[in-house]
Amino acid sequence: MPRAKARANVYEIDGRRPTRVVEPTNEQEVADILRAADAAGDAVVPIGGGTLLGVGNPPRHYEIALSTLRLDSVHVYDHRDLTIGAGAGMTLGHLASLLAKHRQFVPLDAPRAAAATLGGTLAAGWLGPRRATYGRPRDLLIGTTTALADGTLAHAGGMVVKNVSGYDMSRLYVSSLGTLGVITRANLKILPMPAAFRLTVARLPEGTRARAAANVQGLDVEPTAALLIDGFREILPFELGAEGAILLAFEGSAAAIERATRSVRSALGSAGVPETRIIDTGAHQTFARTIDAYVASVAERSVTLRALGLPDGVLKREAAAREGIAPTAALLDTIVDLRCGDLIARVFVDGKLDQLAVRGTLSDAVAALRARLPDATVLARGLALEGDIDAWGTLPPAIDVMRDLKARFDPRATLAPGRFLGGI
Amino acid sequence: MSVLAERLINALGADAVHTEPEDLAVYSFDAYSEDRLPSAAVVPKDVREVTQVVRIAAECGEPIVARGAGTGLCGGAVPTHGGIVVSFARMNRILEIDTRNRRAKVEPGLINLDLSRATARDGLFYAPDPASQKVSSLGGNIATNAGGPHCLSYGTTTNHVVGLEYVDSRGEVVTVHQDDPGYDLAGVLVGSEGTLGIVTSIDVRLTRLPEAVRVCVATFGDVESASEAVSQVIGAGIVPIALEIMDKVITGAVEAAFKAGYPQDAGAVLLVEIAGLADDMDASEAAIAKVVRACGALSWRAARSQAERDLLWAARKGAAGAIGRLAPNYYIQDCVVPRTKLPVVMRKVEEIVRDHQLQVGNVFHAGDGNLHPLLLFDRSRPRDIQAVIEAGSQILQTCIDHGGTISGEHGIGYEKRESLGLLFSADDLATMGRVRDVFDPARRFNPDKIFPSSASCNEVRAAS
Ligand SMILES: Cc1cc2nc3c(=O)[nH]c(=O)nc-3n(C[C@H](O)[C@H](O)[C@H](O)COP(=O)(O)OP(=O)(O)OC[C@H]3O[C@@H](n4cnc5c(N)ncnc54)[C@H](O)[C@@H]3O)c2cc1C
Ligand SMILES: Cc1cc2nc3c(=O)[nH]c(=O)nc-3n(C[C@H](O)[C@H](O)[C@H](O)COP(=O)(O)OP(=O)(O)OC[C@H]3O[C@@H](n4cnc5c(N)ncnc54)[C@H](O)[C@@H]3O)c2cc1C
Repeated sequence: MPRAKARANVYEIDGRRPTRVVEPTNEQEVADILRAADAAGDAVVPIGGGTLLGVGNPPRHYEIALSTLRLDSVHVYDHRDLTIGAGAGMTLGHLASLLAKHRQFVPLDAPRAAAATLGGTLAAGWLGPRRATYGRPRDLLIGTTTALADGTLAHAGGMVVKNVSGYDMSRLYVSSLGTLGVITRANLKILPMPAAFRLTVARLPEGTRARAAANVQGLDVEPTAALLIDGFREILPFELGAEGAILLAFEGSAAAIERATRSVRSALGSAGVPETRIIDTGAHQTFARTIDAYVASVAERSVTLRALGLPDGVLKREAAAREGIAPTAALLDTIVDLRCGDLIARVFVDGKLDQLAVRGTLSDAVAALRARLPDATVLARGLALEGDIDAWGTLPPAIDVMRDLKARFDPRATLAPGRFLGGI
Repeated sequence: MSVLAERLINALGADAVHTEPEDLAVYSFDAYSEDRLPSAAVVPKDVREVTQVVRIAAECGEPIVARGAGTGLCGGAVPTHGGIVVSFARMNRILEIDTRNRRAKVEPGLINLDLSRATARDGLFYAPDPASQKVSSLGGNIATNAGGPHCLSYGTTTNHVVGLEYVDSRGEVVTVHQDDPGYDLAGVLVGSEGTLGIVTSIDVRLTRLPEAVRVCVATFGDVESASEAVSQVIGAGIVPIALEIMDKVITGAVEAAFKAGYPQDAGAVLLVEIAGLADDMDASEAAIAKVVRACGALSWRAARSQAERDLLWAARKGAAGAIGRLAPNYYIQDCVVPRTKLPVVMRKVEEIVRDHQLQVGNVFHAGDGNLHPLLLFDRSRPRDIQAVIEAGSQILQTCIDHGGTISGEHGIGYEKRESLGLLFSADDLATMGRVRDVFDPARRFNPDKIFPSSASCNEVRAAS
């Protein structure tokens, strides 16, 4: 079996290094590795591109890093079917370039798409800002093959866009963070690329934010993404005003986009925002860079959390987050998703604090944030999580069912033990 | 009076419990039709009563079958094992409409179309629209993950459910929501056909009504060329909100019933609906018409008024009913193939039906590759019944051979459970069995459904 040599440091999670890194090249090898590890009592953490390793707690123990990167082949792709079946280790960047040849795409919208894998994006339950238009990643998923802890290779769904033959098992592996099985293959619905893609960016002067946000939420031509961004200056490819900036994405025909642009200008203009910039060339790249901000960490000095909710209350929740953080020595960057309703909050400290103070301050800030937004979960971070910062917020009401599922699928806790919520 | 009946009446009151055979007859079949009387039928008014029923069932060792409107086409709501049928006829309220966030909370007995009617004045609708939407319940839709003509672009029920409340096998109320961290339990419950829990409340996503809608009708010489056109439209990067095909048998029947203006001389009719911004309608129509013409369409026309559009759709959605004019009975098959395989599979279906000397009508969600051959027969002729059974299973096998699946929207239920093993290995089925072990270890919820009877030993093995 192919084995990576001295690359264990790439697979470090919270300062813990695996004793072995394995890079299986096919599904059966994945199943065999799991069966052997399960028998030996070794813990396995599946790892794709490593872009979302900030989601989840440190593993209780960690013997084997299972890289999926070699499971990157295309199993089925006939562009006229608008579906694709590919190995879980295929990067989103690779997938995007394959599909682009036929002017098609899959709206997964994960950060660092060049490194992030299909399997990791699904397993981490990634939610992108275009989901209000295109659906969640789970909605695009039509089938999976998954290797379970006991070495079973389980197939679910298929290659068709409608299917009610048996349980929708693929749903179970989405956002399971590798704790129920290792996804080895994913079948997806894909979409034709719209004729045009345009971003509009407006810097918000003092006192314009609330009204601008409300007007954007009432637009007659709906943007496919609508973000109000305040902070993340080191990574954004555009400038912010005193109250941040509103970034909107529009996709469709040229006529639709022209009409949308007129609506946006008038909606923002009447909110006191003087200027709306249009980005056509390089719009996809600018959009991708913006999404990278979701996981951009400030060295070891930041923790980024995400709180989901409904669109009409999201500005209030952002204000609550600010109030919560204010008494601490931490600073706050935010991304407010005006269409989906989620709030991304990066708490960080400036460079003057020493190492010990950094940790204390960040853990205070996370606690303060959670006091206002109890279900906020950690999305990315530059430092190792330890007991003082938990990756998960309040436990969901159905936690017992989740524990039972884990026990039924992985009775010896071989897969990513302790990474998931409630100690799963 | 039986102990069971007595306990149910004590808990729910006599008016909510039926035990007389003539009353139970109503709960003994669904649109698939299969007569098995339950021991009792109950009509609870709230979730608390549902929890009581589940507890009583557990104590008496009785199975429970949830029932919505009974329009299911695979015997999903049939009490094959006796036990208690729980009807949601009284739990049919809209609990909340949140216009700003485009959400609604409803009870499972609510009729699908009633939700869109209630939200239309706010410019919103509930997108999954099975042809049975005037009668089927949201609870039944959730349990079967119902689809409809418009799920080509809007997706099926699972894409519109954001949260559920259900009663588990111990009689406890559990809520699950898509925004909760953790496993996607709502995602697994949708489409589980009442085998994992009894759904008592549903949170759904509402969709903005499109600014403009256009319905067009194209005609073709035969079903195959119409199917080819569907594949070409999608392949050209155009996704209308609906692409439906009806063959000559069906258009004949629906015209007799509805007089909607479908051409009678063509071998097949393709119904195309596009929606979006008014600015885009002409260009979209022109682009589709061009592809369709290149595929040999004999004609193309757009409906001119809302009334005409409504009538075209009413006739399409009433097709199954209209078929009653052609034969005493019909059996509707429901399977899916990748869209590009439609022409070849439709040709095979014709052959299979001809070999069995049956007549077929085809009305289907072509854009999704979801076939619905309606095999016409006469139940009083044993030869017919045998032919329908054989042709039906050959059609399923043909779909599987072409990379397809055995049910696109009606579910497996009682009807297709023995066929599920054609599609999935014993390991795959046992993996589903693990989920069932967690939700319903005693197999009290809707036994005899989905899983092949032979799968139970695998499930037991997996459980040990
Ligand atoms: C160029 C580069 C730069 C990087 N820079 C940084 C950095 O600055 N800071 C930093 O912290 N990290 C960094 N990393 C690591 C990297 O961010 C993450 O490890 C990686 O991007 C996540 O990849 P992924 O998106 O495929 O999912 P992963 O992060 O690999 O996985 C996400 C989650 O899903 C699980 N999982 C993955 N695949 C599967 C599967 N097939 N089935 C089931 N479960 C699965 C994993 O166990 C994990 O819990 C870098 C990586 C690269 C390649
Ligand atoms: C003319 C006609 C046209 C149709 N067209 C379509 C179509 O286009 N698309 C489509 O998908 N289907 C279609 N169907 C099939 C049927 O209408 C759907 O399957 C529908 O979703 C069933 O809803 P119901 O309320 O009638 O459920 P029922 O038939 O009563 O039950 C169906 C299943 O749901 C379970 N169930 C019901 N309520 C609950 C609950 N509260 N909790 C847990 N389980 C529950 C039952 O146990 C059963 O397994 C059609 C049927 C007919 C007769």
